[in-house]
Amino acid sequence: MTATTAQRRSAPVVVSSPITWARTHLFRTWWDSLLTIVFGALAAWAMVALVRFVATADLTILRVNLANFMVGRLPRDQMWRPALSMVLVMAAIGFIGGVASASARAAATEAGLPFRVTRPVEILRRQWPLLATIAAVLALTRSIGPTVAVVSGLAAASVAYLLARRSPPVVRKWAWLIALTMFVAAYLALTVAGGVGWNGWGGIHLNLFITAAGILLAFPIGLLLALGRRSSLPAVRWLSVTYIELIRGVPLITLLLLGIFAIGYFLPAGLAPGAVARVLTAITLFEAAYIAEVVRGGLQAVPAGQREASQALGMTPWKTMRRIILPQALRATIPAMVGQFISLYKDTTLVSLVGLFDVLTVSGAANSQPDFLAQGFEVVTLPFVALLFWVGSYSMSREARRLERRLGVGER
Amino acid sequence: MVSDEEGPVTETTVFADATQAKGDAIIEVEGVDKYFGDFQALHDINMRIGRQEVVVVIGPSGSGKSTLIRCVNRLEKHDRGRIVVDGIELSEDVRNIQEVRRETGMVFQQFNLFPHLTVLENVTLAPREVRHMAKADAEEIAMQMLTRVKIPEQARKYPGQLSGGQQQRVAIARALAMQPKVMLFDEPTSALDPEMIKEVLDVMVELAEGGMTMIVVTHEMGFARAVADRVVFMADGEIVEVGTPQHFFTEPREDRTKIFLSQIL
Amino acid sequence: MATVAAAASSARPPWWRDLRVIRVVAQVVAAVVVGAALYVLWFNLTNNLRAQGIRTDFEFLDQPIGVNIAGSDIGSGASVRRALLVGLKNTAALGAVGLPILTVVGVLIGIARLSSNWIVSKLAAAYVELFRNLPPLLIIVFAFRAVVLRLPPAREAATPFDAFIVSNLSISVPGFRAQDGFETFWLLMAVALAVAVAVWVWRTRVFVSTGAPHRRVLWSVGLILVVAVVGYLAIGRPIGVTLPTLEGRAIRGGFTGFSSFFAVMGGLALYTASHVAEIVRGSIQAIPRGQGEAANALALSGFQRMRHVILPQATRIAIPPTINQYLNYVKNTSLAIAVGFADFVVIAFQAIGNGQPAPQLILLVMAGYLFFSLIISLVVNVLNRRLQLVTR
Repeated sequence: MTATTAQRRSAPVVVSSPITWARTHLFRTWWDSLLTIVFGALAAWAMVALVRFVATADLTILRVNLANFMVGRLPRDQMWRPALSMVLVMAAIGFIGGVASASARAAATEAGLPFRVTRPVEILRRQWPLLATIAAVLALTRSIGPTVAVVSGLAAASVAYLLARRSPPVVRKWAWLIALTMFVAAYLALTVAGGVGWNGWGGIHLNLFITAAGILLAFPIGLLLALGRRSSLPAVRWLSVTYIELIRGVPLITLLLLGIFAIGYFLPAGLAPGAVARVLTAITLFEAAYIAEVVRGGLQAVPAGQREASQALGMTPWKTMRRIILPQALRATIPAMVGQFISLYKDTTLVSLVGLFDVLTVSGAANSQPDFLAQGFEVVTLPFVALLFWVGSYSMSREARRLERRLGVGER
Repeated sequence: MVSDEEGPVTETTVFADATQAKGDAIIEVEGVDKYFGDFQALHDINMRIGRQEVVVVIGPSGSGKSTLIRCVNRLEKHDRGRIVVDGIELSEDVRNIQEVRRETGMVFQQFNLFPHLTVLENVTLAPREVRHMAKADAEEIAMQMLTRVKIPEQARKYPGQLSGGQQQRVAIARALAMQPKVMLFDEPTSALDPEMIKEVLDVMVELAEGGMTMIVVTHEMGFARAVADRVVFMADGEIVEVGTPQHFFTEPREDRTKIFLSQIL
Repeated sequence: MATVAAAASSARPPWWRDLRVIRVVAQVVAAVVVGAALYVLWFNLTNNLRAQGIRTDFEFLDQPIGVNIAGSDIGSGASVRRALLVGLKNTAALGAVGLPILTVVGVLIGIARLSSNWIVSKLAAAYVELFRNLPPLLIIVFAFRAVVLRLPPAREAATPFDAFIVSNLSISVPGFRAQDGFETFWLLMAVALAVAVAVWVWRTRVFVSTGAPHRRVLWSVGLILVVAVVGYLAIGRPIGVTLPTLEGRAIRGGFTGFSSFFAVMGGLALYTASHVAEIVRGSIQAIPRGQGEAANALALSGFQRMRHVILPQATRIAIPPTINQYLNYVKNTSLAIAVGFADFVVIAFQAIGNGQPAPQLILLVMAGYLFFSLIISLVVNVLNRRLQLVTR
């Protein structure tokens, strides 16, 4: 065939219709078809049952107890406090999101990769399970107050996100301090000026608080343990390893029991911390060991040549750690840290077993109320509680996966 | 390099061993042994390096040449013998070690630039943190060094955005910004694509001709022939032969040297 | 010529700059600080216990436990030690039954996740996303309250197929019983196993020397099955089936387990399986694409590709995190405290409620779990080293 007049032909057009798709994905072989029929029927039956259940379930127990599920036994005239606190926390989260976005852009620029900015609308669209759950919960409320609070919270988060994204690097450098201040302010909003101390908190609010406080308090300890574990001094390394392996080898419940029953014995006589303080101590000690392992992973990801180059320049070990190693290491740990946060969030359900009035305890208490006793409403309350945890965990892990990709931390 | 006050170095001048330095000795290595576990990486190394001298160290892999220069700035600790740099002896004394590291600059095979800092920040970090220079002064020196390695326009970029050759030149600038007395090069071009080797070697040749004392571990024989005052051949942790480039490449004495040269030339 | 300055010290540097001294001092300081902290805690502990008249030794282990442990012959007079051992046995039972189940389920779902059938892969993904994001305690509590507690009470237990007894207290399934000729049958099966191993080796040798397909699985397993069936019939039914029957309050025959046991085991197995499924999926996907391509280029069939290239590498990657999940499963069995199943932690908890000293008991429980964890960690480390790909 002569090469002179050969014309380029366009690619053959493949007509794809639902039929062809089904043929390849559902009915390729007889075994395939069998699986499709069996599992398709199963899935259809399950969906129908689920829809029927949700449509006909009696949600009165949820409606009546909604405030209990959210904040436990907090005095109802103080409800503005958790609302204000929530707005501050959501603003803080928006701020952190914006800083993360700006950091991701910086990282991409460093690596010479392209970067596309996200609009808040896209984030909202990606997090539709979370928004749907919030909407469903608001649908159960009986006044306008909670809806107002949630909307203001979302607005505050969006504003903080957009501001943080455009912020100069100096703000990014101190971002952790700014975020910390906002969380402390949220805490104070609940306690200051005649507020309610943490022994009066309950419901999902208590779970969230224990998660956040646990991670915040455990982080410095975990960091020290991770550095200690990699130390060249045998005694320090041995101490770190012993602590980490000891704590990671026991179930959380045993530490909680230790906290509740035995912590009093370890303190000088006369000092009697409240239940939440004990639980928080146990959880902090527990999380520190796991955070230490996460940080250790990040430290291992920094190439050895970085330390050598820094030393060759004459930098002291302390400066090397602070300026060169830790910034790179901590950035590498972010996805795993979010994973640890999610883990702790789910583990806070255990505090119901040691007498704290968290959301799981509320579920039990609601089912013991005279109106609802022994009527089997656990099938309503337990899935509700499960939804609150599921949606939090799912949303956070999706963001973590996305962050992992954008920070270019690499596939594992 | 060759200094006319001392008379021209003729082809018949042979350095019998490594302990004769040209001019004032700035680095002295005496009877150094180094072990990794049971394995002896350095065996009775004796060497003197004079000011403004360019010494090229060659040898097969595993010969200990990298270990040797890494002992000079204490990235590795020698187990026996003495190492003295510009009058400071390397010992367990923390202050001595820091001083030696301030006076020596090192360029690594893997560049080891700090990826989270810009090029300018990479170069100014040590002058500010270790020599406690003011930011403006440090940046001025940094820009001078970046100009010297011919990439001043990359100052605001991040290492990840530069080519390999550019990154290595930044690494050289970073080491030079500390104004060291000795520059140590550990196979600086081995990790570079062929088309980028020349730009780095050109910078190193300029440095040598400018009077810097250099110890260079490399396989680039062209570089050795062009600027080296002495070539040291190491194998199995020992110094086997020392000589001027002319002597070395035309009439090596030892058999091991001849075998090695026949493999790479 | 000599330029070694007089200031250069070949003598020892002052101690505050001497690296060796600094290292030793730092370690001593660290040890002293930690030691002091531990000592203070210990001091407070013994003081407070003594002030409250609680013993600090372990003699309480021989004291009567003071409570009845449901479903065992531990009465309130039995020693704490015996009760704890029963608890330990129950925890071990949770592990022995749950670990195999969760492995099988996890691997199946992990592979299903990668299926080319759209419905199967989506269902598997839904399973994983559902269970992975739920707190295990919630799953167990739901399994107990919304399922188990809805079963009929013991006295009106349901008996589906006349072979099971199901109530909110216990579940009984048909069991096996040795009958006449059982020893002979055992012996026969042992011999059959030995022969099967010999057949396996023989077929492998044939394959090595001639290249003919060995079909050793077919030969060996087939042999065992044939011997089992023939032997069973020839000896006259040496193994019998017992059906559980309700007689008043007691159940005779079959295997019985507490319903709460099934709630804990089932809920935790489903939860842990979702993590194992993710590990399996990740391991298969972590194998570089080039491996499969090379296998195809060598004309290996799909099955051979799986068996010789993909699965060996995937298993190597998957084993350490999977064993980590086993560890999590064992630790999570302590959640039985939520449903009252008498495992190790629960017994200790009940003893504490009855006045036994809390610190010692809790430390004992922690030591127990720690023991299991360290053993499993050791296994992981040994396996890890042996599974490392050999590199230069």
